[in-house]
Amino acid sequence: MASKTGFIRQTAPYLREPKANVKRMMYDVILALIPVVCFAFYKYRLNGLMIILTAVGSICLAEYLYYKFKKKPGTLKNGTALISGIIYALTLSDSIPLWAVFTGGVAGVYFSKLVFGGMGANIFNVAGFSRVFVMLSFGPLMQYKVDTVMSSTILGIANKTTAVTTLGNVSLFEMFLGINEPGSIGETSFLIILLAGIFLGIRKSLDWRVPVTIILTVFGLSFAVSLATGGPLLTYPMFTILSGGLIFGAVFMATDPITSPITATGRIYFGFGIGAITYLIRLYGALPEGVVYAILIMNMFTPALDYYKWSNPKFTKRSITIFSAVIIATVILVLVGV
Amino acid sequence: MIRKTNKITVDEKLRKNLPTVEIDPPEKVYITLIEMRLNSYELDVKEGDKVKLGECIGVKDGGFFTENIFSTVSGTVGQIVKKFNYSGKKVECLEIINDFQETKADTIKERTDQEIAQLTKDQFVDIIKDNGIKGLGGGGFPTYIKFATDAKIETIVLNGIECEPYMSADYQLVKKNSYEIFGGLKYAMNSMGISKGIIGVKETKKALLKALRKVQAEHFSDLNCEIIEVQDYYPQGWELELIKNVLGIKIKQGTLLSDYGLIEINVTTAVAIYNAVKYNHPVVERYFTITGTAVNKPCQMKVKVGEYVPRLIEAAGGYKTKEDKILVLGGPMMGANLLLDDAIIAVTNTSILVFEKGEPAEEPCIRCASCVYSCPTLLQPVQIMNAFKCKDIEAIKKLKIFNCIECGLCSYVCTSKIHLTEYMRKAKKLAK
Ligand code: SF4
Ligand code: SF4
Repeated sequence: MASKTGFIRQTAPYLREPKANVKRMMYDVILALIPVVCFAFYKYRLNGLMIILTAVGSICLAEYLYYKFKKKPGTLKNGTALISGIIYALTLSDSIPLWAVFTGGVAGVYFSKLVFGGMGANIFNVAGFSRVFVMLSFGPLMQYKVDTVMSSTILGIANKTTAVTTLGNVSLFEMFLGINEPGSIGETSFLIILLAGIFLGIRKSLDWRVPVTIILTVFGLSFAVSLATGGPLLTYPMFTILSGGLIFGAVFMATDPITSPITATGRIYFGFGIGAITYLIRLYGALPEGVVYAILIMNMFTPALDYYKWSNPKFTKRSITIFSAVIIATVILVLVGV
Repeated sequence: MIRKTNKITVDEKLRKNLPTVEIDPPEKVYITLIEMRLNSYELDVKEGDKVKLGECIGVKDGGFFTENIFSTVSGTVGQIVKKFNYSGKKVECLEIINDFQETKADTIKERTDQEIAQLTKDQFVDIIKDNGIKGLGGGGFPTYIKFATDAKIETIVLNGIECEPYMSADYQLVKKNSYEIFGGLKYAMNSMGISKGIIGVKETKKALLKALRKVQAEHFSDLNCEIIEVQDYYPQGWELELIKNVLGIKIKQGTLLSDYGLIEINVTTAVAIYNAVKYNHPVVERYFTITGTAVNKPCQMKVKVGEYVPRLIEAAGGYKTKEDKILVLGGPMMGANLLLDDAIIAVTNTSILVFEKGEPAEEPCIRCASCVYSCPTLLQPVQIMNAFKCKDIEAIKKLKIFNCIECGLCSYVCTSKIHLTEYMRKAKKLAK
């Protein structure tokens, strides 16, 4: 006999990939951040911890109150606020007062995420935006006064002395480990962040295309400079990718899928753009941590890279030609700057 | 997850080693009179008439082509009733009351090998047309049209892939009817003057490969036919994907296979061709699978075309629950949803799936791009969805929505569990 009831409507497909869910991705990112946080704690003790707690608190609180006020369901559960908070904290210097951390967090999440309509609708990376907000508003407070000799990161030193020839006394290996290297509280240990990145890559919780292209671009451009100036062929490029927040930005900020383009090709252009802008900032401006600016600038280009008339999941002859031309132009620009 | 996915995770218990059950012959069968692309019909019989198994009792018309209607049992013509079919809608069906005699129609007679050897292309096409043969992998496209082309056909590809998970109709068929598959292939090649045959089978289906190779070695060693193993992923059974993998030819979507000198048919269709040419026998039954989390005894069986779905469910031990369940006619990726089980089996149907309720909650898109990476036709499902939400028809068209084959992968992979495939269907309708 035919049953009269008991059926519900659903449309094909009737199966879903069990491993594909937002929670898994977010937990993975949190897991990957734990060692970085521990390292920050090891290096900066209570001060580091307070900065992290304040940053997380400010972003979560702002988001919570915003949705409470709007009488909409809360969104803290999805973990994005927590992650943004941690990442934001890790980009700050240990000398920053906590009230500045708090203000930056609230303003950052409000202007970069909440006003756009919450998770998924933001154009700018929340952590990056908050960090830049702090930098612009309270810049002088962000002194890196860790080392008696260096008043800025190693990067700042390298820029002042205009690079290439005077790298001898910086140990690449020490930079790789990041134990004694000054910098933002979480950005310094290349090794830990690299491992975190590999973990996320294996878990497919980040798109390897973005960090890999960024690193390759910076490496390539600095290699070209080395070649042109007759500097230390490999030491200088290695130094460039090891210093500053490059790897941190590449692994934890640029890979934020919400603010990256939606196609594989777009993500490669995006990574290239971040790498190139970071390098240009280092070359022309004396700004350390150009990577955050680069990410925010490329965030602005994301909608353009996704514009339906030219977004394409595969490379075409035309896009390869244009891309090659852009690469060549960038190299020329860099070489003119040296 | 951010990745390209083309493997479907399935519950092995619902797939492996399903028991084969015998099902009592039906008291009544219901023959679909209206089908996809065939929206009018003419019957040559009326209520009370006696009919025989395999007798042609009318014709369905779709404007561009027609298809003969056959009785799948011998017995008495009943009324025209409305039942659900794979379209998910109620359509007119002709009821035939079985006399259990299985008396065959007079038209069913064996052709001698000599007669068959002398068939011309036109005669071959006529036989296929007369026997109402169509794409039995589920496509349902009339097979005679594929063969009636004026283009020179060099290669015929038999699709033995059965790409959707949980389905086993082709598997059963290849195991038991390897001889007929080669037979159908040979007839097609001879009458059409096709020089090369290819059978594509998944490399994981060792039993099928073995069965086919054995028959080939024993009976068809002089036939220029190659059995090619292809990787087991979804949608390997999509004809363009299969052709790319067995022949290395990339076919542009929207062009005709015949322009490349190719014909592609399902293995079940090849068996139907064999029976049509050899015995002038239309398709009256087929292999079938019933499985899913909400039936008691997942199983496989041979069913009459025109079987009534509740009878089959009963044969599979009935539903596990009276509560909300999802009834699917076809595969888990592309099958049709039925809102009542008052439905019938058409010749193109291969499986029934019953799932417990379980559509996951959607979250906002996090732009992970898995849908873009996974789409076999290189579309950008998330962008089409966004364009659809803004009703931007120009963008929808520019994003090539009409290339979408509704394979379901975009919904399957979505990290935020968004039902993208449904958006694709809506966007298609909007842009039409
Ligand atoms: S359903 Fe359409 S858009 Fe989605 S993956 Fe399949 S072909 Fe691509
Ligand atoms: S629609 Fe789903 S799969 Fe596609 S980008 Fe958004 S979250 Fe990812």
